[in-house]
Amino acid sequence: MAAGAGSKLEVLNPRGIPPPITLIPMAKRLDTLDGKTVYLVSDGFPGADAFLNQISIWFKKNMPSVTTVYRLKAGGFADDDPKLMAEIKEKANGVIMAIGH
Amino acid sequence: MQIEKMGIPTAPMVTIAFKDLAKTNAAKRGMPDERICFTPHPVWGKTDEQMYAYLEGNDPVTGKPLMKEVIGALTDPLTADEAKTGTVTPPTGAPTFVDTADNLQQYFLDNGMTDFMPIILPTRERVDAMLKGTSHKPDEVVGKMTPAQGAFPAWSFTVEQVAVNAVMAGCIPDYFPTLLAIGSTGISALFSSTNSLVSAVVINGPIRDKLQMNYGIGAMGPFNQANACIGRAWTLMSKNLDGGGVAGETYMGSQGNVINYNNLIIPENEKDSPWEPFHVQKGFKPEENIASFFFGFNITQGQGGKGLGVKPIPKYNEAMSANVAPFASLFGALFILDPLVAHGLGDLGFKTKDDIADWLQKNTTVTVKDVKSMLFSGLPRGQAATLKDDDVIPKWERKDAYNFVVCGGQTNPYHQLANMSYRVSVSIDRWT
Repeated sequence: MAAGAGSKLEVLNPRGIPPPITLIPMAKRLDTLDGKTVYLVSDGFPGADAFLNQISIWFKKNMPSVTTVYRLKAGGFADDDPKLMAEIKEKANGVIMAIGH
Repeated sequence: MQIEKMGIPTAPMVTIAFKDLAKTNAAKRGMPDERICFTPHPVWGKTDEQMYAYLEGNDPVTGKPLMKEVIGALTDPLTADEAKTGTVTPPTGAPTFVDTADNLQQYFLDNGMTDFMPIILPTRERVDAMLKGTSHKPDEVVGKMTPAQGAFPAWSFTVEQVAVNAVMAGCIPDYFPTLLAIGSTGISALFSSTNSLVSAVVINGPIRDKLQMNYGIGAMGPFNQANACIGRAWTLMSKNLDGGGVAGETYMGSQGNVINYNNLIIPENEKDSPWEPFHVQKGFKPEENIASFFFGFNITQGQGGKGLGVKPIPKYNEAMSANVAPFASLFGALFILDPLVAHGLGDLGFKTKDDIADWLQKNTTVTVKDVKSMLFSGLPRGQAATLKDDDVIPKWERKDAYNFVVCGGQTNPYHQLANMSYRVSVSIDRWT
């Protein structure tokens, strides 16, 4: 049915249904990095390993009391790595994660 | 985010090219104030000195000294917002919109709900007509879709929501079961990767003729309503049903790909093919209506392949083998063969698709040195330590990396080929 130029139509929204978002509270922060162990984690994107190496060099020069540990997450960039997560939970005080790229 | 949940403070770092994506993703996953630190772009390909200079410089988003910001991300006390819990429901807009036709076209365009071409406005009348194309109820959930699994939460969508997109694309009700089948896979035609990836669907069964699909001259071009509108609807579904296709947020293809306008819709030319149809290879009955999906890098033409100038019968197999040489082994090879090529291969002794797949797998080789120099190609699992650079290995280890569909109008014995992998086949009949 043709509508006049000024007449109004009602049309349906084409969008799907996003899931509700559960807010995740962030972890309590450290008082200081001095004397702490910071894990430097790459998710495998090209260049991440070299970049994190430069971060470890930066800490050695500027904050030598910080211990850095490099790890490459297993699998694809969105894959879980339970073994690494368990290690981080046990041994890391903080994490710097290089995501891309 | 997973690490934060474990109680370990985290400073994610990403280049500024991904600023919108990173922030949007963090918000969608429940941590809108995630302390993401940004570097200049790119990091990949920079020297050690250049990367160190990034660290000594500023975050290009905040302007603050980068390493000071990283340290602060791990040590500054949380704000009240950062400590919040609860649930929020993302807004998607009102269930209907009311305005003049011109204003509605502009509204859909301005709100990223189109492919930037005019749409058929999805009035209640038109959507109801579309819904008559299926026996499934309007509020039935068809499936879930995400622009990239693991990166974005999947949205769900109903039969009616698929119908709205189908109307917008210019589909008629007869096409609707095919679109519901496509939606049921949850496969987005606009996968979010910095590679500008493409998707294809092969259609088999009597439905091709029922919908008057074109599998002859111009099959993969703009020469048929069903082929065109089904493909276009898939693109619109991929934008609207999962929040996808927002350049810089949920679509990151560095250059984009023209194929994404309406994808590769490939009805197989079953009647002119000497071989069994693709869906029968996959175990379906000839009379079943099936949609089979492929995904990967681009499609290209095979006309320049070595061997095609040989007389009297061109060496199609040799040309196909040579043509896949530059392909990345991350994805497989999908050959779209004019029926004349399929018959020509038969004249060369390849009586089935399996025969040619077998030959290609054995005879398409590459050196280890070349594989190491390529992106998105890898050595056979577990063999990297034992292989030498001069060793010659199969391009793909398995012959199911090679797939074949016969399509075309026999004006000449040409073929096209796509660096794409087979994903899944689903029933269209289920959605009638």
